[in-house]
Amino acid sequence: MKSIQTTTFDVMVIGGGIAGLQTALDIACQDYSVAVVEKGASIGGKMIRLSKVFPTLDCASCITTPKMAAAAHNDNITLFTCCDVKSIKRERTLSTQNISNSISPQNNNTQRNRFVLKAVVTQRARYVDADKCIGCRKCEYECPVLVSDVEQGGFSARKAISIPFSNAIPQIAVLDADNCMLCGKCEKICPTHAINYFQESYDFVIQANSIVLATGYEMTSLSDKPQYGMGKIPNVIDALQMERLLAPHGPYNRVLRPSDGKEPDSIAYIQCAGSRDRSMGVPYCSRFCCMYAIKQAMLLSGSLPLAEIRIYYMDIRAFGKGYEQFYQNAKAMGIEFVKAKVARVDAGEDGSVTLQYEDQNGYGMVTMNHDLVVASMGVISAWSPKGICNVSQGLDNFIHTINSKLSPTLTDMEGVFVAGAAAGPKDIVDTITEAGSAAIEVSKYLRYLYGKERGLKPVSTISSLKAVA
Amino acid sequence: MKDKKEDQKHKENQEYREDKKVGVYICYCGGNISDHVDVERVREYVENLPEVAVARTNMFMCSDPGQQLIMDDLKNGTVERVVVASCAPSLHETTFRSAISRAGINPYIYEHANIREQVSWVHHGDQATEKAIKLISMASAKAEQLSPLEPIRVNAKKHATVIGGGVAGLRAAKDMADCGIEVALIEKSQFLGGNLAPLDKIAPTGESAKELLSTLALQVLCHPSITIYAGSVVDSFEGYVGNFTLGVKQVEPLPSKAADSDITAEADISDIQKTNETDKYKKGDYIPFSGVFAVDDADFSNRSDSQNLSVSSNWKSHVIETGVIVIATGFKSYTPNIGEYGYKKIKEVITLPELIKSMADSLNSGRLSSQDSFTMQKGSACSGKVRGLEKFLEIDGRKIRSMAMIHCVGSRQTPGIHQENDSGQLNEYCSRTCCTATLNAANIIRERYPSTRIYDFFRDIRTYGRGQEEIYEKASHNQVIFFRFEADEPPEIIESRESQSGKNFESNSQLNNFPICVKAKDVLTFGEEIEAPVDLVVLATGIEPNDVSDLVQKMKLPVGADRFLLEVHPKLRPVELPVSGIFLAGTCQAPMDIGESCNAAGAAAVKAAAMLAKGYVELDPFVAQINLELCNGCGACVESCLSDGALRIVDIKADGELIKRAEVTPPLCLGCGACVGVCSENAIDIAGWTLRQYEAMVDRIVAENILAVIN
Amino acid sequence: MDKTAMLHRGKILILATETCAYPGADSVGQSHSSYPSNTFILRVRAPVLFPEQFYMDCFRKGISGIIIMSCGEECPYEGAYKALAKRIDRVYQLMKAAALDIRRLRLTAICTVCNRAFLKEINQMNELIDEIGVPINEEAEL
Repeated sequence: MKSIQTTTFDVMVIGGGIAGLQTALDIACQDYSVAVVEKGASIGGKMIRLSKVFPTLDCASCITTPKMAAAAHNDNITLFTCCDVKSIKRERTLSTQNISNSISPQNNNTQRNRFVLKAVVTQRARYVDADKCIGCRKCEYECPVLVSDVEQGGFSARKAISIPFSNAIPQIAVLDADNCMLCGKCEKICPTHAINYFQESYDFVIQANSIVLATGYEMTSLSDKPQYGMGKIPNVIDALQMERLLAPHGPYNRVLRPSDGKEPDSIAYIQCAGSRDRSMGVPYCSRFCCMYAIKQAMLLSGSLPLAEIRIYYMDIRAFGKGYEQFYQNAKAMGIEFVKAKVARVDAGEDGSVTLQYEDQNGYGMVTMNHDLVVASMGVISAWSPKGICNVSQGLDNFIHTINSKLSPTLTDMEGVFVAGAAAGPKDIVDTITEAGSAAIEVSKYLRYLYGKERGLKPVSTISSLKAVA
Repeated sequence: MKDKKEDQKHKENQEYREDKKVGVYICYCGGNISDHVDVERVREYVENLPEVAVARTNMFMCSDPGQQLIMDDLKNGTVERVVVASCAPSLHETTFRSAISRAGINPYIYEHANIREQVSWVHHGDQATEKAIKLISMASAKAEQLSPLEPIRVNAKKHATVIGGGVAGLRAAKDMADCGIEVALIEKSQFLGGNLAPLDKIAPTGESAKELLSTLALQVLCHPSITIYAGSVVDSFEGYVGNFTLGVKQVEPLPSKAADSDITAEADISDIQKTNETDKYKKGDYIPFSGVFAVDDADFSNRSDSQNLSVSSNWKSHVIETGVIVIATGFKSYTPNIGEYGYKKIKEVITLPELIKSMADSLNSGRLSSQDSFTMQKGSACSGKVRGLEKFLEIDGRKIRSMAMIHCVGSRQTPGIHQENDSGQLNEYCSRTCCTATLNAANIIRERYPSTRIYDFFRDIRTYGRGQEEIYEKASHNQVIFFRFEADEPPEIIESRESQSGKNFESNSQLNNFPICVKAKDVLTFGEEIEAPVDLVVLATGIEPNDVSDLVQKMKLPVGADRFLLEVHPKLRPVELPVSGIFLAGTCQAPMDIGESCNAAGAAAVKAAAMLAKGYVELDPFVAQINLELCNGCGACVESCLSDGALRIVDIKADGELIKRAEVTPPLCLGCGACVGVCSENAIDIAGWTLRQYEAMVDRIVAENILAVIN
Repeated sequence: MDKTAMLHRGKILILATETCAYPGADSVGQSHSSYPSNTFILRVRAPVLFPEQFYMDCFRKGISGIIIMSCGEECPYEGAYKALAKRIDRVYQLMKAAALDIRRLRLTAICTVCNRAFLKEINQMNELIDEIGVPINEEAEL
């Protein structure tokens, strides 16, 4: 049996999306060491894959890249990519730190009661030596295998070995073992001999005093929804795919519908396509779909000025700062808002998509054809603590928080905090503030732990307050 | 011929220059650049520029081997100034600056040439190559003139000041204090708790506002590192990050908040009595609807001594030296215009905050006398037990058989439809919290008083948050009747009392026995006209930022069109202001619920903690610098300066004589250069961005000799 | 336009603010739009830095057109835009006095995603300088 290596940090952040990065940065700025563990091959999460963000219409990649770079360049932050967390346990430990003589026996007692969090992490094989790869992409240019590129919504191809996307961090190639045909071309061309077909996954341990869960969200799949064609109807796409079509570095460099490359003249958004819908197991509101639909509609009317754009909605939830004004602007730009729940989606003629909905003007069931339909799918938790650690989930499967009003980032496991969409759907700005909030909880917790260890007077606790009250 | 001559002249000039060897590093960007720019040809050309010592290329200059090239050349003295020609500086300027630092060299001897976003992706063929040469040549000319700069290091007091004692202010104060920072908390009233105090049970989880507030406020009151200045306001402000000075002045006691919101005649009287009774309160007492009493015994006795409460000269003032400031000045509930949905004209029209208070009062009246009665048990246990067989909600002794709730009052206002306020403003924003609060109140009423019928008039139901959609579902389940209206066709409130004065209101079978009829066009049922007879109309009033114009003026805070304080970036930097060291927490920035306010407070606190962690703050060195030999002390720069206090004229001694010269206070300087443009003597410049550097770049743009070399 | 014509085309100087217009120019690059290469972008913190004489010197040196791409009302330095607008009025006076066509200097606001506006400004300025030539000739004719 191989001996398992242990690395120690003050804090471990699970998830390298915008929530995890902001949390890590806010903690690292106070000189605590932070490990960021990301399951993907690059940090940046969902945000780096977006086109622009509402309501500023800033380019998402332009404002995410600096954050990613700041985390990557921060001396206190260590990034682990292609990593899965297998288990997290609180373990009693004897501190290896030298304890100064000034500490009283009483404090030594607390010392003995000290717990740490130990996470077993699996480093998945990239088949590329991360230390040797210089990200020159020669392997990618040489590779003969084309694979559908999920990073581009499946609309274009990538190679079986590639850098995940142009502004990925780290810029290290990943080999897709499922599709590689072992032709050996990448191995031959690699100037630094970084390709290793025999690389294996291995486990290692990250020991930390505090953990932040920033595991983000996923979207429900179109294929779950029989009324909407189970994902079989061409030209019905989800919103993240539309983000790629709109992105400046997207698959076609402009908006074309996928089935035949036609420029769509009429585009429809189906809101609540997977949310507020008990049948989909997502009874809650996914919170940011209204805004991204409006944003995408605005961007579409910019790139396709003649196209008709319609949003079918139940309630427009433009609740954030500047959002309502953004919504009103979209209306003024001529984007059509139709209050209706779309009942059925079918394939129409020549690649068009047919929607059926109940008209609010009393015309009963109305049928409408569109060239391209975007379904705003439900937002669901991307990660479950089940079998990994003793953090509980809410009924919505997102991480349960125990003091949602005064300390919204507290979980029911000591030392473990949550930030961003891991604790329920959240837009970027709410994620950023929550990341800051988780970071201050971590800072307070570490100070409390280390303060006790160093014999410092602990900061106020509830019990000291009760006396006064 | 002419080109060559000029080139010769150029070379001659060069010999008189200080010898600053520039290294140029050109990136292929894996084809992103090299597909359109002939990188090797560019390298050959720029290597011949007079100031360039070496020019190198790499597939990815940002890769470790690429950075190593630069570091090696710096370490062995081959180059003293660095130009990297690659992608946009926003992506990799910091990468290369830190590589230079790692080589042990000052990172400010670096200039970036943007030959991807501004060349290879927008120009093609020879033009791209020529443009790349020009841009690098310009960058190199600037680089030659760069000098090492040191970040401005400002010692920072490990002390923070929070303005506002609502939930955001309390959270921020506690968070920072727990991180080892001394905190001063300034609250205008004598109570802590702000807008949390007048709440009852909080959606969606049903916690009691009293419990939340008592816990938090007591933690703050008892914290050894927090000093509270209750009943005080900021009187003066000066300084800069790490070293602010605030003057704090006690003000005469405000009437408690409940009285402030002017609910009903009876409420007014009782609250005034309460205010007079504040003598009886002890620090830490929880006073329903007002918050946690925060005035110290010392202050208290001081106040008792002074017979005339309105003589403010008897009140204390303090000076606080502080490192960072967190603004948490909160919101006030929108007050409808007189006559808006009949408000203040029809006595049955009240606001949601008024309803919440009345409900709590009606629950408490006659039953229990202690303050504890305010605490409601969790769940809906109150309804049957408390009121016995009573199935109707009662407000001021009136039985409410049926009521209407109207959303978006004072929010989502539309130009041309809604009436502007006295200052000509509209609240175009959504207040975010009212939908859930309204439906929460509706559920409580339906569950406690099942006979009270509720009509809900909404535009969009915005129960966006975790657990909030369930409240909406529950309201439907509780048979709250929903009608949707459009902004241009709001419900009408019609008084039907006149026609049947003297009739017995108790019989609820007859429609015209109700004092009010709400008329609306229901969009949900295809524009059907509906009339709802009701005893009570509740307006779901929105959130407006508290008026902090005095602070805005004193501290030069940016304010958005919506009158909330304006953050640096609404997406990525929501709690920061352009002024370093001042942060925003909670509803002074935008409408938020309690959890969101606490998150924002935490985010502000962590920024403050990071800033004060080292005991000093490092700022960009790009600030104005004065050439004292050229400066004639005319003061034009001071006049043009956009940041108060960054520039001033001082007397300095030169050759035994007192002369006037400009002086910069670097931490206050924004580095905008407004002063540079007005200096007749060219005596002032922005470090790292000097006019001479720009002129050198323009000279390179117009130089025609480039083609002579490459052709 | 063939290469020689390109070489003799007048040059356009663009002063682009580092918070708005400069990233805006990058955004044009990211969208792979193309525009003439006689454009030279200088990254500035705020264009209010440049004195009147700087503009006059540029024209004297042979720059055909200058576009100031500011942040407009979104300027991070409160009051800078107003000061800049006043400054530019004075430059216009100087230009008139020197018999320079004042259309050679344009004050605009370009945000980080104003791709179209960015391209429009460049195309308009190019149309203008193609029509009226380089400023040195203008002065020589006088």
